Amino acid sequence: MSSAARGAPLAIEGLAKQYGDVVALAPTDLTIERGEFFALIGPSGSGKSTLLGAIAGFVPPSGGRILIDGDDVVAVPPYRRNIGMVFQNYALFPHMSVFENIAFPLRLRKASEAEIRARVERMLAMVRLPGMGGRRSNQLSGGQQQRVALARAAIYDAGLLLMDEPLGALDKNLREEMQDEIKQFHRQIGATVLYVTHDQEEAARLSDRMAILNHGRLVQVGRSRDLYEAPRNAFVASFLGEANLFAVRHMTSTGGGLAVDTREGIPLAALRGPAGAINGAAVMACVRPEAIELARPGASGLDNRVEGVVDDVVHAAGTVRYRVRVGDGFAITVRRPSRLQAEDPGVGERVALSWRADDTLLILKE
Amino acid sequence: MTPRGDALARAMRVLLPCFTVLVLLYLTLPSILIVLMSLSDQTYLTFPPPGWSLRWYRTMTEDTSWPQAALNSFVVGVPAAALSVVLGTQAALALTRGRLRFAAIASACIVAPMLLPHVIMAIGLYPVMLDLGLLRSYTAAILAHAVVALPLVFIIVSASLRGYGESLELAAMVCGAGPCATFRHITFPMIRMSMAVGGLLAFATSFDELMLSLFLTGPGTRTLPRLIWEQMNAYLTPTIAAVATLVLVLSLVLLGAAALLQRGRIEGSAP
Repeated sequence: MSSAARGAPLAIEGLAKQYGDVVALAPTDLTIERGEFFALIGPSGSGKSTLLGAIAGFVPPSGGRILIDGDDVVAVPPYRRNIGMVFQNYALFPHMSVFENIAFPLRLRKASEAEIRARVERMLAMVRLPGMGGRRSNQLSGGQQQRVALARAAIYDAGLLLMDEPLGALDKNLREEMQDEIKQFHRQIGATVLYVTHDQEEAARLSDRMAILNHGRLVQVGRSRDLYEAPRNAFVASFLGEANLFAVRHMTSTGGGLAVDTREGIPLAALRGPAGAINGAAVMACVRPEAIELARPGASGLDNRVEGVVDDVVHAAGTVRYRVRVGDGFAITVRRPSRLQAEDPGVGERVALSWRADDTLLILKE
Repeated sequence: MTPRGDALARAMRVLLPCFTVLVLLYLTLPSILIVLMSLSDQTYLTFPPPGWSLRWYRTMTEDTSWPQAALNSFVVGVPAAALSVVLGTQAALALTRGRLRFAAIASACIVAPMLLPHVIMAIGLYPVMLDLGLLRSYTAAILAHAVVALPLVFIIVSASLRGYGESLELAAMVCGAGPCATFRHITFPMIRMSMAVGGLLAFATSFDELMLSLFLTGPGTRTLPRLIWEQMNAYLTPTIAAVATLVLVLSLVLLGAAALLQRGRIEGSAP
């Protein structure tokens, strides 16, 4: 009957929340496209739950506007916003069957019994729980409960779906399976999704774009790849994946790039200066562990070269992580693909590290 | 294990059950004695009774003041319990779900009547009820009993509300349920067992209450505990033991019902 829901665009303008003197969310602007899968990531206490709560209508903002499909909903109570939401602990109603849980929003909307039956059955099939309508929610596994929660959030064709760490309670393998399912579900229903997680890998797998929050502030917005390859500051660089960070003391232009003097005493070669930087004191250099080549001492290498002693070697699922001590108390992490019968350097061996100048990312400290 | 430790463990296996039985006897003996004394064939309260008879149960039903007092206890207890359930549940909802600034102080005020000596409340209420012209009325006793029974409902319903967190209610709201629909479809089904348990205990509190009844009821509205108290001073016949036995049986039935409801509540909400 009902066609797939059309996504609603979401625009946030100057949205802020303060509790007394504590700033939970600094004035924030954000635009999410129609039908986009958008992830909000950040450590706990970064303001992502406050932002989500304000959009859902649980947290009255101190200022700003929330536009869903062009309408400001700040003054609208949660039950009239027509948003779907999936909670971290599923929040299924324990005194209702699976069928009644999914039918609940339709009953509130006074749908006819025949329509409710048809739509719930179709939704049950869509989330791969056909014939499970009669079960109680506490008879289901974690993954099944999550699918019921998805079905309940989507059954009334809301243009915007909020998901608050929906996979946080599941173990790793099930989580990855459910990620694929959520992604497919999103493609089928077409709604705009705002997905909160503290897991950057999950955000990368699921989302079209993501926003990183820290201390109640939006730090950077973009595609996962953009954020990884061009982090705005040291926080983004170390929150997304691993980063070797150097404190920059001084930068001078050379023929083809920049010569960088670092507090760690390792001179670096870079191609581009940091975007929007004013002086060298607030700049850091970031080198990703997988950009670094590992060779025997004395071998000719790339633009950046440094020698050190292997401190630690960890083999984990296809990659080898080396910690290489290059100076007093300073170590560089290197990640290489693990190959069979490769003659990898062991702990205590001296090695040469090298990487290309354009892999030295100059970024802001804050 | 050392021989000494072994002996100690063996002694404990004997001593612990003995101690347990002693404590249980200490707790239940007064009630058991009352039952035995009510079956006495003497005209005064004595223990152990030299002979057995059921005559005092007959005396109790022949004297109209006992059935009247029992009826009064229900006329006071049922509305008092109902009032406690309504007000106690609302207070619990406000203090667990609302974000009130003075929640801790409000909570202390609500629970206080349970901890304060009833005689203090009785002395305070006496002139107030006198002024209002409510002294010796059912209304006075109902209002006073609701105050002392309300904390029980408040505590039990609050615990139940805290037990499942507020995300269910938030989820219902997102689904489109306004405050009333959320209460009807989600909150009430989750807490109704606790409300019933609270109501039973509230009734039991009122049924058992003496001090407030002494001050606030009159000859026409006196409750069972008050009549027992008056008869104790005047006659001290085994009729009192017979009445007390019946009160004990009713209290046990109420407690049993509350326990059954509690069990149902726990099983119903198990994950």
